[in-house]
Amino acid sequence: MPIVLPKQGASVNLASFSAIQGHRVAETAVNIERVTESVEALKTGFEAHRYICSDQISTAVYLAYHLRKPVLIEGPPGVGKTELAKTAATMLGLPLIRLQCYEGLDEAKAIYEWKYGKQLLYTQVLKETLEEVLQGARGFAESVSRLHEFGDIFFSEEFLEPRPLLKALREEDGCVLLIDEVDKSDHEFESLLLEILSDFQVSIPEIGTVKANREPPMVFLTSNNTREISDALKRRCLHLYIPFPDADLEQRIIHARVPEIPPELRRQLVTFIQELRDLDLKKVPAISETIDWARTLLLLHTETLDPDLVRDTLNVILKFQEDIENVDVEVPVLTNKAVKT
Amino acid sequence: MDRTLTSFIAALRNADVRVSTAETLDALSAVELVGYGDRELLKNTLSLMLPKTVDEKDAFEVTFDRFFTFEDVDGSTDAGDAGTGEDGQGDGDGGAEGGEGGAGTGAGNRKSKGRFRAAATEDQEDESLGPGEMVSPRSELGILLMMDSRIELTVRMADAARAVNLEQIQVFTQKGLYTRRIMDEMGLPDLQREINELRFSGALPERRLSQELQKRRERLREQVRDYVERQFLLHADASGRRLREQLLRRVKLSNVEHRNFRLIQEVVLKMAKKLVALYSRRKKVFRRGQLHVPRTLRRNMAYDGNIFDLHWKSVKIDRPKVFAICDVSGSVANYARFMLMFLYSLEEVMPRVRAFAFSSDLAEVTELFERNGIEDAIAKTLRDYGGGSTDYGQAFEDFRHKCLDDVDNRTTIIILGDARNNYGEPRAEILKEMYDRAKRVLWLNPEPRTTWNVGDAEMRRYVAYVHQAEECNSLLHLERIVGNLLRTVQ
Repeated sequence: MPIVLPKQGASVNLASFSAIQGHRVAETAVNIERVTESVEALKTGFEAHRYICSDQISTAVYLAYHLRKPVLIEGPPGVGKTELAKTAATMLGLPLIRLQCYEGLDEAKAIYEWKYGKQLLYTQVLKETLEEVLQGARGFAESVSRLHEFGDIFFSEEFLEPRPLLKALREEDGCVLLIDEVDKSDHEFESLLLEILSDFQVSIPEIGTVKANREPPMVFLTSNNTREISDALKRRCLHLYIPFPDADLEQRIIHARVPEIPPELRRQLVTFIQELRDLDLKKVPAISETIDWARTLLLLHTETLDPDLVRDTLNVILKFQEDIENVDVEVPVLTNKAVKT
Repeated sequence: MDRTLTSFIAALRNADVRVSTAETLDALSAVELVGYGDRELLKNTLSLMLPKTVDEKDAFEVTFDRFFTFEDVDGSTDAGDAGTGEDGQGDGDGGAEGGEGGAGTGAGNRKSKGRFRAAATEDQEDESLGPGEMVSPRSELGILLMMDSRIELTVRMADAARAVNLEQIQVFTQKGLYTRRIMDEMGLPDLQREINELRFSGALPERRLSQELQKRRERLREQVRDYVERQFLLHADASGRRLREQLLRRVKLSNVEHRNFRLIQEVVLKMAKKLVALYSRRKKVFRRGQLHVPRTLRRNMAYDGNIFDLHWKSVKIDRPKVFAICDVSGSVANYARFMLMFLYSLEEVMPRVRAFAFSSDLAEVTELFERNGIEDAIAKTLRDYGGGSTDYGQAFEDFRHKCLDDVDNRTTIIILGDARNNYGEPRAEILKEMYDRAKRVLWLNPEPRTTWNVGDAEMRRYVAYVHQAEECNSLLHLERIVGNLLRTVQ
């Protein structure tokens, strides 16, 4: 039977690999220490990675790191909630493990699952060796006690398929765990998260409690507020609300993300978007839409906003036909405002 | 330090921000990390730790600004007060001596007499420590006042405030009372006695001290009043409101005054939110022992058809389908307003509410509620269908005509009305039809049970064809009834 054993050389390779990794780890640790030294350092760190953030946001990351607390990020879609977690991961040089939530997500998909197929295969394979194991055993009781000596092999680490949450706990040198759109999951799943969020551990009935390694993961949860998150979950987290940015901040964000765009046009388009957010729309444009629009305008070699151009590109910033129709009438006025001020 | 934070959290709780003990501990450790040095950082930190919704964040902003600025405000207003006080004395008849700082600034434009007095004050201040023209005060508060240390005074004031339980202040009329109590606690009676004794003693230094003490006492009173005012805003403003809210829950809805509508709306929303939180979980009923064969087979395909992952049949419980039929004639309109408000605030747990309004003719107003905000929709409903005399017979007839077919065994019908039919035909047989079709028919009557059958009321006939008839004339009743409704359906 083809049971593949690791070759001799593999362990050597592994050792040298871990040495390299050890070096890398030390470097990362120093880096992390430097970046998380103060709120200001974090802010500049984020800026270096083209993520412009308010004091509130950098404070949140600072506290999350030092107090080892998860951050629950709420806010309208497209303000950079997921991006924050991603940027934090690259900035700190940690791997990002992402768990996308949806209705019906359960522990089998979020924490762990048994490798049923493998278990089955092995039982089939081992059928033939059963004779040897039970050699000389007489009667049922004796056979069973003989089997007991082998313990719960089939429910050991070997047969465990780790899913994102368990993976994050087992990551040697810490990682960033992003639990995206937690509001889309069921209530049951929220309760499931409580243990991992407060104690950085999960319980697997067959094995026991798995605790986080040396460095617990840094956890970000995002929510679009489609439903209230339970108090129990909120209590365990820092609560960060990211609103739409003001004009100044948005300009800086555009500058960081689309540096090629001329400053005058940047100012105009940000003013336009800000005006748009005051209108009664089904879905107001978020930062991601502003960035897309800036890229579009850049692609069209635009120098300054004019009503026709705005009309043509309106579908980049507005995602509902109804909204587009409503805004269409206002375009000249809004454009004028944006160009003149 | 801990004390500052805990009293801040108490103020937050007062402003309707829910802070648990665990969060308090978290906040403490966070503050340990960032310290009290940087105000902006502290604010950002606490706003991450304590408030957990957008509304709470707003409340937090206000409370934080009120709570953590008052030390600075204290200093500046004091300086201002002192300044104006001295100016007034300088320009006035010179009956009182200049204050400590005024002697320097005001000396230039004062008359010679004034200058002399200013000089005298300076002397006195020097001498108040030792023997001299002005005797040193004997009472405790007097000594404190003459020491002229703002910090000492503030500390003493805070102690006194704590001793008289200032944080229990509830309504604004108590401000004067608490001001006096704090002053008494700080030792006002002794000071008063001393001032009186000094005033009637012949010697000049004593009289001078008496005047100085009087002046400083007035300034202290001013400070204490300010302090009480601030504490009132922090601690009592909200609890006074809570008191009113408590009352509003019990008060008869037809007696609610117009100016309280906003508040009552908030109360309704709050109650609705509570119910939503309680019932927003969609429960499943597992039919234990009934295997869901298709699903089990599907799930076990991956394991070579070996069935070891079993799936059982389950049913998701349906959310209630509610038909609300509201009498909006003059006598009951107010109740209808609040019931509709309540039902539509529960959208999250009762997504399918259809509303009907009638006084004589019945019309569906569901669409109004879909297109407008709750407030507007209610106003429009009352405008278009309100007033007029009630005709239940006609209304039932219309209902049968329009949508009796939509009523099925999952529908709950809520009828709100006083059943006063102006001696018209009651048409109870239509109600019976509804009763037979629907899952539940509820009748909410705003009148007390004793008058249900008096005069032109037809309650006796209708009661036979409803599952439940309830008296309902306050928010508390409404909450209980809607809560029951949700409970029985789930």
